[in-house]
Amino acid sequence: MLFQRYGKFTGGIDVPEEKDSTVDKPISIPEATDSLRIPLMPCQTLPSQPTVTVGARIEPHQRIAAAMKDGIDIFAPLGGTVKSIDEKTIELADLTQPKGIPESSIETSWSDLDSVQLYQRLAESHLPTFGARGETMMGWINRAKKSQANTLIINAVECQPYVTADHRLLAEFGSEVITGSAILGKTIGVSKIIVAVDETHTDDYTELLETNAQYDIQCIALPRKYPIGADNILAYVLTRHEVPCGQDPESIGIAMAGPAECFSVYRWVVCGQRLGGRVVTISGMHAERPGNYFVPYGTDIHELMAPAEEPFIIGSPMIGRLCPEGSVVKPSTDAVVAIDPTIVGVPSQCIRCGWCHDHCPARLNVAVLNDHYELSDIAQAEHLGVLSCVECGVCSYICPARLPLAERTRKLKRAIKRRQTSMPLFTPAPKPPESDR
Amino acid sequence: MTDVPEINPPNPEAFLKEARTLATHAPLLRAPEKVHSVFLVIIVAACLPLAGGVVLFGWRALWVVFVSVVSCAVIEKIYFRVTHTPALLGRTHAYLTGVLLALTLPPFTPWYVVVLGALFSILVGKAIFGGVGHFLWQPALVGRFAIAVITPILAPMLGTTDVLQPLSWGVLDQQHIVFGDVKEVKTPKDYRGWKLTDAPDGTNGFAMPHPNKVMSKLWLKSDDNFHNFSSIGTVRDDIPNRQCMLFAVLPPVSDMLFGARPGGIGETCSILIIAAGLYLVYRNYVKWQLPVVIILSAAIVVSIAPIRFTGPNGTMETVWFPMFAEGIEIGFTYVLYQLLGCGLLVAAFFMAPEMTTSPVTTGGQVIFGIGCGSIAMLMKLYMDIPIPAYVAVLVMNTFVPTIDSMWQPKVFGQKHFPWLARAKK
Ligand code: SF4
Ligand code: SF4
Repeated sequence: MLFQRYGKFTGGIDVPEEKDSTVDKPISIPEATDSLRIPLMPCQTLPSQPTVTVGARIEPHQRIAAAMKDGIDIFAPLGGTVKSIDEKTIELADLTQPKGIPESSIETSWSDLDSVQLYQRLAESHLPTFGARGETMMGWINRAKKSQANTLIINAVECQPYVTADHRLLAEFGSEVITGSAILGKTIGVSKIIVAVDETHTDDYTELLETNAQYDIQCIALPRKYPIGADNILAYVLTRHEVPCGQDPESIGIAMAGPAECFSVYRWVVCGQRLGGRVVTISGMHAERPGNYFVPYGTDIHELMAPAEEPFIIGSPMIGRLCPEGSVVKPSTDAVVAIDPTIVGVPSQCIRCGWCHDHCPARLNVAVLNDHYELSDIAQAEHLGVLSCVECGVCSYICPARLPLAERTRKLKRAIKRRQTSMPLFTPAPKPPESDR
Repeated sequence: MTDVPEINPPNPEAFLKEARTLATHAPLLRAPEKVHSVFLVIIVAACLPLAGGVVLFGWRALWVVFVSVVSCAVIEKIYFRVTHTPALLGRTHAYLTGVLLALTLPPFTPWYVVVLGALFSILVGKAIFGGVGHFLWQPALVGRFAIAVITPILAPMLGTTDVLQPLSWGVLDQQHIVFGDVKEVKTPKDYRGWKLTDAPDGTNGFAMPHPNKVMSKLWLKSDDNFHNFSSIGTVRDDIPNRQCMLFAVLPPVSDMLFGARPGGIGETCSILIIAAGLYLVYRNYVKWQLPVVIILSAAIVVSIAPIRFTGPNGTMETVWFPMFAEGIEIGFTYVLYQLLGCGLLVAAFFMAPEMTTSPVTTGGQVIFGIGCGSIAMLMKLYMDIPIPAYVAVLVMNTFVPTIDSMWQPKVFGQKHFPWLARAKK
């Protein structure tokens, strides 16, 4: 069976891929760090309540915090001693050696379980999801079930530059990812599962193709064009249904997950293992050891990247952000990139070249939205459909005037969502010194 | 723009700090093209027709280009020194304006006229609006328009003391073509094309009627000689048709394409203009729809717009559908002359697609292009305007804010076009 080829969308650009340094590096174990600061809020929920005290000795995979409301329990990724506890983190010291991804051992035959049993089993898992959205696995499953999704799309396109974490998962654990997606599909009760991958890397996915025949899963290779991996765009490319303005693919009956979720679900349901970390790509021209690492949650990013110097970017440079002091690896940290953000440059005024509009995958007229942003005219921006923005960053990337357009559309979206229409959005930047350049 | 630090600023530490405060959010990558490089590429593209003009018209053309570029840059510099307007983008755009202005000027324009044009381009076209990104009309065209309006008024006052005495204002009128270093010029009756005709003894060039002059105002009754072919004696017996008589006084079509005809420095060499335009289209600096729509709409208008001129027997004759009146072949040649004869190609590839003064969306650009093309041809046929294509672009520039706010694209996930509607307050 071969990958089917598919689809196009308007807009989009070719972002330099920059994956060569990490794309063939197998997932390995990072150097041991002194301490872990395990976040109590890995997802966008209430922080979990610590159940351990300072000084206690912790075994690997022991529960260290209990869920509040719809949050998740936190489990220690490594063994160690609790050094300190504050509102947001539990710090562990005297760590055991990180082990990487454990061997898989089949304990349960998942195909015997029906969807209710699978649902219950996953409810015990306390897994997070790994997207930027920061949901818990159960939150995601409930949302998908509520919208009566009939299609599950596994978004393994990974169009972001520098990031190869999903690619390595597919290449090394392809059959587990596929099985995981089948488990998820059965849990939600979808009729169709699609795995979308990037067509340039399909040679590495032989294992994946061997497995998918068992489960009637469609594997589709998509051409490289940024941002084909954005959820709404991918849903459009694969199904030709446009996601309504400001909504998720779930609203048209499409559930979206990534390979990392499938993999962790497989490991939990079939092997009974709870992975205490995620695959992180370390890349960028200043990175000392580029590669793909299985990093336990709570690893300090500066320690992970040492001895490379700041600045680091969490996530791909197109959608990520600069790494603040003391950030740690969380479920949504798919990459840490060490490049110079000085190339961003200082914004000047819009010359109305229209490139932002030409290349916007959501066909937004970003130049006009920028005007409305500067005038704080949120109502008109909403009328022009700014909520359709998929936050891909193409407009900022392409803008010759170096305007931070993606950030502005993001602010407009946030303002619309919060209905803060009385507050001025735009505070003029401090004037740079005069010169007649 | 106030200042654009280079990629390698003198003080990397401080700049890194500033960049980080500016760029706390994604994306932290940028495409290599900056505003300056955009302007530079357009300058390079515009140099192609300019080079053609210099080859055809000699070193005087180069002098005009030089004066135009330098005066634009100097005027902008002085304006900045005086007012400290922050949004003047600086030299690159001033150079671009100078080059574009030079494209439209006849090769023997006296230097003070060029400086006058540069003054209007920079001050009226650009500076009073607040600089790059804010102006309403394409600045080079503002300068060109000012020249076209002012020089006929100034000419009698200044007298004819210029070195280019026999030609000075005539060239500006765009009635003549000159090749070579001109001291003496003749009007050859039997000019049959560049390279095919030798200049008469003792002269350095030909003075030819400007095709724009011949082909325009075809509806207006005037005592202009060019409308009365019997009087200039170039109507040949072997040309039976009325429209054909138009071509009798014009250079052959091949000369129209290669540029051996009267006109602005960069206006005449159609082949090079199209090549440069295609390069800009390839670089995505010009959307292909805009020039195509301008040229198509102009072609449609001239092929159906009725014309009227004095026939061989001295009476006014009206041709209702020039495209079909005397056979499709003659109609097609007529349309070709009309399209190539004025600055329409320069307007379509360089002036109308100027980023700031054209609509943002492709749909808006199509509307804009239809306006430019048809207004240019209507002005050319029915009004007494020496630079119809440029004036048409200026007219449509005025409507760009309206087009921009009316024509909005259909956004991903929206069911309707939001155009023509405003949000309810
Ligand atoms: S890309 Fe930048 S300069 Fe060009 S129209 Fe958009 S906002 Fe303006
Ligand atoms: S407006 Fe949004 S969707 Fe469009 S290019 Fe910018 S970030 Fe991407």
